[in-house]
Amino acid sequence: MTQFLLRRLLLVLPVLVGILLVTFIITRLVPGDPCYVMLGEHATEASCNDFNARFGLDKSIPEQFVRYALNLLKGEFGNSLKDRRPITTIIGERLPMTIELTVLAVTLSSFFGILLGVISALKRNTIFDTLTMLGANAGVSMPIFWLGLLLAYLFALVLKGTPFQLPPSGRLSAGMSMLPLAKTWGLQDVTGIKAFLLALLSNSAIMNGLLTGNYALTFDALKHLILPSVAVSTVSLAIIARMTRSALIDVLGQDYIRTARAKGLAYALVVRRHALRNALIPIVTIIGIQTGGLLSGAVLTETIFSLPGVGSRMVEAILNRDYPVVQGFAVVIALIFVFTNLIVDASYAYLDPRVRVK
Amino acid sequence: MKRNLYVLISLIALASMILAACGAKPTEAPVAPVVTEAPVVATEAPVVAYVGEKLEAPDCNYGGTIKSIEAVDEFTVKFTFCGPEPAFIAKVGSVEAYNIYDADYLKEIGGDAVAMNDNPVGTGQYIVQEWVRGDHITLVPNPTYFGKAVDNTTLVLKWNKEAAARLLDLQAGNVDGIAEVTADDLPTIQADSNLKLAPRKINNFLYLGINNTYPPFDNEKVRQAFAMLINKQQIVDDFYAPGSVAATQFVPPGVKPGFTDGFVDTTYDMAKGVEMLKAEKFDFNKEYTLSYAERTRPYFPQPTKIAQAVQAQLAEAGIKVKLSMEEWATYLPATRAGEKELFFLGWSEDYPDATNWYDVFLTGSSPAFGDPFPDIVENIKKAAQSGDPVERQKIYDEVNKLYAQHVPTTVIAHGTVNQAYLASVENVVLGPYNENFGQMKTADGTMRYSQDGEPVSLMCADETDGNSFRACNLIFSKLYKFTTTSIAEPDLAEECVGNADATEWTCTLRQGVVFSNGAKLDANDVVATFSAGMDYNYPLRKGNTGTYQYFKDNFGPKVMNQPPE
Repeated sequence: MTQFLLRRLLLVLPVLVGILLVTFIITRLVPGDPCYVMLGEHATEASCNDFNARFGLDKSIPEQFVRYALNLLKGEFGNSLKDRRPITTIIGERLPMTIELTVLAVTLSSFFGILLGVISALKRNTIFDTLTMLGANAGVSMPIFWLGLLLAYLFALVLKGTPFQLPPSGRLSAGMSMLPLAKTWGLQDVTGIKAFLLALLSNSAIMNGLLTGNYALTFDALKHLILPSVAVSTVSLAIIARMTRSALIDVLGQDYIRTARAKGLAYALVVRRHALRNALIPIVTIIGIQTGGLLSGAVLTETIFSLPGVGSRMVEAILNRDYPVVQGFAVVIALIFVFTNLIVDASYAYLDPRVRVK
Repeated sequence: MKRNLYVLISLIALASMILAACGAKPTEAPVAPVVTEAPVVATEAPVVAYVGEKLEAPDCNYGGTIKSIEAVDEFTVKFTFCGPEPAFIAKVGSVEAYNIYDADYLKEIGGDAVAMNDNPVGTGQYIVQEWVRGDHITLVPNPTYFGKAVDNTTLVLKWNKEAAARLLDLQAGNVDGIAEVTADDLPTIQADSNLKLAPRKINNFLYLGINNTYPPFDNEKVRQAFAMLINKQQIVDDFYAPGSVAATQFVPPGVKPGFTDGFVDTTYDMAKGVEMLKAEKFDFNKEYTLSYAERTRPYFPQPTKIAQAVQAQLAEAGIKVKLSMEEWATYLPATRAGEKELFFLGWSEDYPDATNWYDVFLTGSSPAFGDPFPDIVENIKKAAQSGDPVERQKIYDEVNKLYAQHVPTTVIAHGTVNQAYLASVENVVLGPYNENFGQMKTADGTMRYSQDGEPVSLMCADETDGNSFRACNLIFSKLYKFTTTSIAEPDLAEECVGNADATEWTCTLRQGVVFSNGAKLDANDVVATFSAGMDYNYPLRKGNTGTYQYFKDNFGPKVMNQPPE
């Protein structure tokens, strides 16, 4: 098993090199000029020539790539062209929000998806099954943009003044403060990976509140995440429910289930211990893919709910032709996918002893 | 065993890369401030004379309009220009690019916008309490502000790109005011008694650009006919917010001198336009391309719908037009390079003077419209040199007639921008460039406002976007400012007085003004600020992108010591 995981980790290197190369070439080949986006109507050819020279964008693409690769070897992702802030800082700011949203959304979609799928499979061809699958179809088909606005309208306006009122957008309520942990704990001098991890914790409003005892902050952040996580989890929930149903129905028809029942085991126990565990492999795969997708940014949800996550920043960078940000985020997203798949693979071994034996 | 060793080595390499990346430092090393002139001596030490700094160009051949800026004494700054600069006060009072910074603080941060963002030091109404990246900026009153104290305890600037989401936030009571209301949302706001609209009259225009190097648009009669075929009033009625007007000539009615009262350059006349085209043997079978970018602007509230309306109007005349929607990042450079035959673009005024219109568009500064018209250019330059408003108006009257004849563009509309507030917010007054946030009152003392984007940086000397300017306006001050009218009012300056031909402007600074870091404002702060904008080699000229575009726009096109292209 260890060897298997090490081999998978090893594959990360060529994947990363490939991602870097492809992203670099694609961003440079896409027409458009970052200077004109940043200066808007005021952009002139002279100013933009100066801008491009300042940021080394006037050099040939191979020359730019060599410089970029050399910087990467020194551990420098570079700075944003838009605001000249280090890419690692921007990632440290954006990733925590996305992780918070993903964890909530995946928890919601996995719990309710599996629950509905199991009940639907066990009560196959009943009205409950039909309604659940109808709901799942609706969930898959519903545009997140529309659902997000609908949820925001319902919980922010229709239920305004009731205990169910929820904020329609933003990460925190006005006036809610989020102090940097480095400052709070007197760790301003920390550098490297420690500083990055500290920034991740610090920029997670939920963790920041918990670690500093500012529970109002945690509660406020959670309140702001309810609607986005419901909106973004709908599609995953529907897919997981459908997948659970079909996988469980398939397993329930197997001989070993009949054998287990014939041995006199209780039906609930058979379902839980024998059927569901065997049906979980495709479900875990789906959950893994959904998690990777969400961690790499729920662009529409982040946009509608004005959440400062990875996806919205990536799209903004693409539109602004902010090449270093696009490249930096592409690497992070690639890493997220690789590690998510690694965890999914590892979970197979846990769920299915045959994988361990192989 | 061997394979395991290989795996282990690779893992260590991967881990090192990640560790190094996480601890990455900015690519650009901070510029070390270099003190090139004598240090400023504190005023508390009367035995030492005040040493005023000076920025001076060796001559006026560098391509800019400023000859020198000199700190004459502690509170007097003299600007000397290469030619008359009648719009000096309007320019330095308008956009936040002319915020005045503390010279010593600029040195401390090396003129770097990134450092300024972390700890902005200004003389404005507010100071930054917190900037939660991606979410909001919290501002609290500046205890050392020299002007009238603000009427709220906290001002929170939020942002949301989606107009519908901003409105939802307002309706839910999460914010007290929102920017950039779209035309689609106007009925909702008007029907809701809890909300109120706040229109802002800012001079802007949307124009149909016509590149006169592309046949048949090299034919003046064809351009004149095209101008007649567009029903501007219909477009305004259908797609613009109330208060917007159809254009009658090049500049909006508020630009004086400039606008010629009672003059209409082209009247909508479909029959006559078609007749003119036929007389010029216009090819009705050819398909022409009308380009635009789907980017909502105050002057272009519904880009696709407006483009389709113009397409339909031209189709009525039998002209086949293909619409080409492009991304801003590719559209603007292509347009500026003269690669579009017909295109939509627009402009919102930076300062209330005709030079911000005629000089920007009609002097051939870019090949977007093709070749410039010498008679127009000559008159515009003459008007810009004159300090006499009556004389300038006469020249602009002539320019307006020439514009109607040559039709380098067809101006379509002047849009009104709307903001919306909760009805409970008191004392909402919008000036042409700013809001009076400091005087707005809410029940709990916190004013929360949502705009359409996050400020790029808080060193607005090197920014051009409205979202940065809105934040900077609250934190910094300029020599002059605009509040509720188009007349500049003294701010950090008690007054700026020009000489007879407007080539010299002497500004007397307000005494006793203190920056939020405790430093006192003096004339060297003004010199240092303008040096960063106007001198390419100034050690503190770092900013954000390093472009300092407004200095080039208004006092350029080049700055001192700018290397040749």
